[in-house]
Amino acid sequence: MRTKQLITIGLIGVFAALAVYAWREFNRTHKSLVTVQSDYTVQATALVHEFLSNEEAACDKYRDKILTVTGMVKWVDRVEGDCIIVLGDTASLSASVRCLVDSAQVKYTGSLRPSDTVTVKGVFTGFKNDDTGLLGSDVELNRCVVGYGE
Amino acid sequence: MRKYIICMAGILMLLSVPAAAQDKFFTKSGRISFVSKGDIETIAAKHKGITCVLDTKSGTIQFAVLMKGFEFEKALMQEHFNENYVESDKFPRAGFKGQVINSGEVNYAQDGTYTVKVKGSLSLHGVNKAIEIPGKITMKDGKPQLKAEFNILLSDYNIKIPAMVKDNISNIVTITVECVLEPLKN
Repeated sequence: MRTKQLITIGLIGVFAALAVYAWREFNRTHKSLVTVQSDYTVQATALVHEFLSNEEAACDKYRDKILTVTGMVKWVDRVEGDCIIVLGDTASLSASVRCLVDSAQVKYTGSLRPSDTVTVKGVFTGFKNDDTGLLGSDVELNRCVVGYGE
Repeated sequence: MRKYIICMAGILMLLSVPAAAQDKFFTKSGRISFVSKGDIETIAAKHKGITCVLDTKSGTIQFAVLMKGFEFEKALMQEHFNENYVESDKFPRAGFKGQVINSGEVNYAQDGTYTVKVKGSLSLHGVNKAIEIPGKITMKDGKPQLKAEFNILLSDYNIKIPAMVKDNISNIVTITVECVLEPLKN
């Protein structure tokens, strides 16, 4: 009888633990990249050249990876409370690294100006090749945090 | 007389340059959001980095979207969206190429809101489908602001909903597009 009770309590405990795990996993939100280590550290212009020379290989290499990118600010887009930092060679308009800043980190971007050198850490979301030839191609990062190197 | 003609020709050339420069408008910070209302759950996501190019002279319009740019409130939902539904590793981009059908009715030189119809091809999950959607172009200070809301069926793009969650996820997805465009300088 006692053994049966212990087994029952044990099973209830296991199911309760599984239920808590499932609930937490279902409701898990994105972790801030401030404390997450990046997979690669690169210069913005080198990163852009990597994609322009071999897009497929670069996409395979950086898929779902966290990148720390250092580069010169070409400009800063501020749209409806969001901030996108565009990094690259300021002398060339053709290709850039576009970094969408994490909404909790936008307040730290107020002092950024074109020609500043900045380090940004973000999740690689893709490479947008410019089919029109008018806009320039972009490496895109999301959930970016500013000023957190390795 | 000759000097007068040369002068007038020069003035006309100068006047034509700004008009030509404002035929094309673009953004790389356009927004798309989508909502799928199932019986049990509502799934919603936003994208803040879509590219849009509008040629007001020809009426052509193009959008480009990186699928991994969609952000969900819940991380697990985002992972399932990318891995199981849109398979974004296989189909990293979605896009639209089309035409503003009644572009001639839009006065791009005058502030105002114009109702338009846009017809073209929506490319998603490796499928291209012809669609026609209503939208609005609002001209403000010489810049177009685009807004459109329309529904698509996931099944039209071979996006499969597992039987286990078919009550959670609706086959009908409502997509909202909002873009503020800037002049594209050549």
